[in-house]
Amino acid sequence: MSNGEPKLKSKAASIRAYSTLVYVVVIFFSILAVIPFWFMFMNATWDSFSIQSGIKLWPQIPGGIKQLITNWSNLQARASFSFPVGFLNSFIISTSATALTVYFSAMTAYGLSVYNFKGQKALFAVIVGVMMVPTAVNITGFYREMSAMHLLGTKWPLILPAIAAPSTVFFIKQYLDTSLSKEIIEASRIDGAGEFFTFNRICLPIMVPALATQGIFSFLGSWNNFFAPSILLSKNEDKTIPLMVAQLYGDRFVDYGMIYVGLSASVFPIIVVYVFLQRYIISGVSAGGVKE
Amino acid sequence: MANTNRTHKGMSYSRFGYIFVAPFVIAYCIFSLYPLLTTFWYSTANMQATTSAFWGFSNKEVYYDRYLDLNEIYDDLSKVDIDSSGYNKIKNFFAAQDYADRYHPLDEDGMTAITSIGTSAGFSSTTISEVQAAVDNQDVGQISTESYDELKGWRSGFSDISLTLTDRLSTYSGQLDAIVNAETAEEGEETESVTPETIMANASYTDFVASLADLQLDANQQILVDYLLTKTSYTSLQEYFDAITDGEASMADPAFYYVISNLNSPSVTTEDGEAVTAIAVPFISDVETYLKAEIWKDTISNSSSYTELPAYIDGSKALTDNMDQLYADIKDLNDAGIINAEVLVIKGGEVVVSDDTSGANFLAVYDKYYVSADTPYQSNPDEIAAAMQISNLGSYYELAARTKLVSMGVALDKYITYEGDFDVDKYNEFKAEVGMADVLTMDKYKEIDEQRMAERVEKAEEKVAEAEAKLPEVQAAYDAAVAADEAAGIENPQSVVGTDSYKAYGDLRSVELQIQKNESIISDPKGVLEEVNAKKMYISVGLDNYKEIFTNKTRFSYVTGAFVTTAVVWIIGFVPQILLALLLSAWFTDTKLSLKGLSAMKALMYLPNVITAATIAIFFRRLFSYSSGGALSASQLVLRAFGDEDGYNFFASPWATRLIVCFINFWMWYGNTMIVLIAGITSINESIYESAQLDGASSFQTYTKITLPLLRPIILYTLVTSLIGGLQMFDIPQNLNMNPALVDFNGVMIPSIRTVLMYVNAAAFGKQDVKLVGIASAVSVLLFIVTTILSIIIFYIMRDKDAAKAKKLMKKGGTK
Repeated sequence: MSNGEPKLKSKAASIRAYSTLVYVVVIFFSILAVIPFWFMFMNATWDSFSIQSGIKLWPQIPGGIKQLITNWSNLQARASFSFPVGFLNSFIISTSATALTVYFSAMTAYGLSVYNFKGQKALFAVIVGVMMVPTAVNITGFYREMSAMHLLGTKWPLILPAIAAPSTVFFIKQYLDTSLSKEIIEASRIDGAGEFFTFNRICLPIMVPALATQGIFSFLGSWNNFFAPSILLSKNEDKTIPLMVAQLYGDRFVDYGMIYVGLSASVFPIIVVYVFLQRYIISGVSAGGVKE
Repeated sequence: MANTNRTHKGMSYSRFGYIFVAPFVIAYCIFSLYPLLTTFWYSTANMQATTSAFWGFSNKEVYYDRYLDLNEIYDDLSKVDIDSSGYNKIKNFFAAQDYADRYHPLDEDGMTAITSIGTSAGFSSTTISEVQAAVDNQDVGQISTESYDELKGWRSGFSDISLTLTDRLSTYSGQLDAIVNAETAEEGEETESVTPETIMANASYTDFVASLADLQLDANQQILVDYLLTKTSYTSLQEYFDAITDGEASMADPAFYYVISNLNSPSVTTEDGEAVTAIAVPFISDVETYLKAEIWKDTISNSSSYTELPAYIDGSKALTDNMDQLYADIKDLNDAGIINAEVLVIKGGEVVVSDDTSGANFLAVYDKYYVSADTPYQSNPDEIAAAMQISNLGSYYELAARTKLVSMGVALDKYITYEGDFDVDKYNEFKAEVGMADVLTMDKYKEIDEQRMAERVEKAEEKVAEAEAKLPEVQAAYDAAVAADEAAGIENPQSVVGTDSYKAYGDLRSVELQIQKNESIISDPKGVLEEVNAKKMYISVGLDNYKEIFTNKTRFSYVTGAFVTTAVVWIIGFVPQILLALLLSAWFTDTKLSLKGLSAMKALMYLPNVITAATIAIFFRRLFSYSSGGALSASQLVLRAFGDEDGYNFFASPWATRLIVCFINFWMWYGNTMIVLIAGITSINESIYESAQLDGASSFQTYTKITLPLLRPIILYTLVTSLIGGLQMFDIPQNLNMNPALVDFNGVMIPSIRTVLMYVNAAAFGKQDVKLVGIASAVSVLLFIVTTILSIIIFYIMRDKDAAKAKKLMKKGGTK
């Protein structure tokens, strides 16, 4: 406690009451943020009939795990799509896109931060400017372009554009401007290293904290992306997890256990990853706001 | 000094700068800039008429199948190894497919009209909701037969003169189109040309003229003939036909066809409805052929209203807009016998135009309601739109039934009832099923096409040779005729009707034209494949898409409604979100409170932001769903627990639906905003707070006087990012409810949670056959413009205070 010198008892009491109120509100909103996910997981352990009599707040004990497995296998058997395939698709797209975003954004940011070339400032200004452009407005043009390139129905339209991620470039450049000392580059050059060697072997490792943060956000963005995949992917075997989840509420699905197990399955991996990486994610969010 | 030094050193490496940024720039140009520019471009395109091939829904093969002249293949099936039953199946397939393309009756404006007059017209709620579902899913199949019957019932009881006229114009338009298009289709074909000379040389003509002398007319016939003769300057039929034979009167004269068609099948009835006996005109079909090929096309093209008929029919032009012209044009076409726009009756021994204003009597109806200014006719545009839409649906249902009756076999049925976008695999499956899997392949098409082109060239060469051989002969005949006529003192004899030179000139011209036409075929033989390619081209309509968005009331309401919906839903979610975030961040950074477990709570509150939005939307959909049966959603159980026996159907209320979207947005983002604000507050210099504390400022004062002003840039940053994200809102509303409750906007019912991107998505990528790509692109461009303007405004507000700050920072950096 910081208020180490309470002047009056009543004041201390009022502060205590106030802080109790604050705790109640803060805890309420903390719980509110996660309670839906709790509901999803709990209901995934019940059969459809039980859920119909009311949403479940607790797991089914005993037999919850068994029911969970039954729900999951029902989902596998009855859905027109396959979640494992969806995970694979999402995984391939998200990891590839993230790798491209991280590497090429680092490269671009490095180019903008380290070298002085004509048009450098203008280019950076343009990058900051295009961060504001809503990415979805070019969808008709993009669709037609992909169609002309015969890339529809493939994963490329969702992967390749990741090379150009203006906001990632912006944040990595901000990081480089403050954290990369020019002396390292000079020293590397004196030792006779080429520019790409310097970038790949010496500077890239220095950037890892920034790249990790940006990589996490890029991955989540790609994983959760719905708009573009919903337009570009039409076959069930190509679809990503968000698209499959969206199909869960079709007329075919009157089995609520199946719906909840599907929802849970789409949420679970993200929560696991989040538990391990939340520190970086939250510091990334903090940094994003302050830097601007 | 340090600066110049660095610049100098950098110079030698500067080219690496370009290399390092090159991938980004290239990728940005390819994947963002180019599509953005093409979206701008497409917004000026008429993409409604564009085939799916352009849009990428099918491969070319499918369209080649459709547009290849299959009849030509059928004539010579041995060429392509198709057995005739297989051929018939595929022909029916394309007939069905063509019908589906052409007669797709889903006109959003018309459908909206149905829903908007719904209650006043007494439609049941099922019907209204089915019509709405049809619009939302772009699928007419959503309207059940019962609902359609209900619509039809209303339609049959609905009477509106302007609708009658529009219906009529639509029939005329079809007739006229058939004439105009029939000729172009026959172009390049060798047809025995019918001329007045060939008709008169025929026995059927001479016999007919000879029979006129002995013609016995009954009273009604006599009245009719007298009436018809008033259209000519002759007093008896015989006189008239003699004049035709002698070349004094022309078959090309509009009156001629009017006379013979009325003799052949009189459109006159007596007052008792008794028909007048026809006087058969045996050569009438020859005359029709001649007129269609030579005269009518010009007559039709010269009626300025012809090209505008579609506008009158679809309602974009009111019947009264240019009524004098429309009336005159219809009258001309009627007088030429091309269309039949008036009802004639025999009254008091005379043929008169009936004043009966029932359907077919277009001119009289028009006269009565529009020409006389004292009875200006007022229509309810919504009801007309609805009635027209129901007529469209009628023809659709009728055709659908007929198409299905055609012996298509199971395979075709399967294809037609197939739901979803055009699927090439499905099509190939169909081909395999009719046993033609590897018959109509791309290579085969090329082969056929090349073969056909070669044949055409060959034919054309023959014709050129033939014509060239004929040329000296006709040239000589023409020269001789001119010389003779000129000797007789006629100036420019080739342009004087009836002279020998006139006839000879015609012969010469036709030979010359034959050479010209066939030479162009030889030099540039066009295959069908090329024509199909041409169909995929962009057709510019300038700013018509924007014009439509801003002038068509329904379209305007849909588009602005989507923008307003997006803005409203965003604002209602954003305001509580930023307020809560401000409150929480103030508490979390309040040293007096020094809350514990900050990082854990941050982690919990941020969680919704990383979860797939689609999952969240589906979850909330389940949470708030309503059913009267035993299966109750959580929201219904809570309501019932509080004593509300019936529960509450959230998704039936547009505002409840909207508020759910707002709540989800609020819920997903308050943690994020809070973290950003906490970061902003903790970055404020501690010493400011310390001095404030020394001055005895309260927590509240410190917050309002120090924290909030210094936090302003961060709040604006949150505002901008949230705004840009909010304008692109899609995942949540799209997945929350596909058929949300409707809300009245500007007099039009719009889906309560259809955002701008949802509109774009539905227009350009919806299930409908005709994708409104031009409109969708134009809406995208508007979204781009709105975002840009708002961002600029916010930046402008932000700049004032930050410019000074930024300058200071830059100076600091410089002195370092």
